[in-house]
Amino acid sequence: MTDDELLIEQVASAYRPVPRDELRYHPHWYDLDGAGRERAFARARALRALEAALDPDGLSTTARAVLARITGRR
Amino acid sequence: MDLDVHLAAIVAGDTRAFGSWMAGAEPRVRDSLRSFAQVIDVEAVLQETLLRTWQVAPRLIDDGRPDGLVRMAIRIGRNLAVSELRRTRAAPADGDELDAALGAGDAPASAPDPMLRKAITECRDKLPGKPRQALDARLASAGGQDDSDLASALHMTLNTFLQNFTRARQLIADCLGKRGVAIDQELGA
Repeated sequence: MTDDELLIEQVASAYRPVPRDELRYHPHWYDLDGAGRERAFARARALRALEAALDPDGLSTTARAVLARITGRR
Repeated sequence: MDLDVHLAAIVAGDTRAFGSWMAGAEPRVRDSLRSFAQVIDVEAVLQETLLRTWQVAPRLIDDGRPDGLVRMAIRIGRNLAVSELRRTRAAPADGDELDAALGAGDAPASAPDPMLRKAITECRDKLPGKPRQALDARLASAGGQDDSDLASALHMTLNTFLQNFTRARQLIADCLGKRGVAIDQELGA
């Protein structure tokens, strides 16, 4: 895997630092150029559909991350 | 299906109902932010958008059209994305694309296909050990830990973890392809 592929795979995850005063991006998002960011968006879109299909409630890791923030678990 | 069927329960504070709403709404809200993908971190904006939608749902005024909460979420996402553009001083997205994205909120929600879910689950169950571990770790963490932490917990280097995760999604894509299931090409890339 190229360095860019490794970065895209990480940025495509639902992990994001919890916001404080302002939104916090994935640290490696800044390391990608425009094309890499587009790929990360497309990869995330594909992964979320896969995750939702594997989840008993049909939730992606994005939705699970949001629920964790709502319920104070994050 | 009109996702506003969940609205009364959401307003009453039912997080399970909000989860059901997100299961249908998330792809549409995400896609509405596509034109910003080069200039903002859409995943971060999307998560914040969904959180704010939960917070302001009680203020939604019914206009008689379906999917009012989805349309509101798309507007929240658009406004947040524009605020991020200003904050980061990135080039703004094309106005026509923004309008098209907002219009996308009128598209009907598609119910999950049970056969597709079954096929994906069966393909996941065929994964070899390490790729399965990497995929399961991502799913279990639900965005709560970065990949370095997930790799450490599995006693893998970050590169090994990412290679195993990549292999997992590619194997699932191959498996689905052999079953004749149409998949997003990016899944197998």
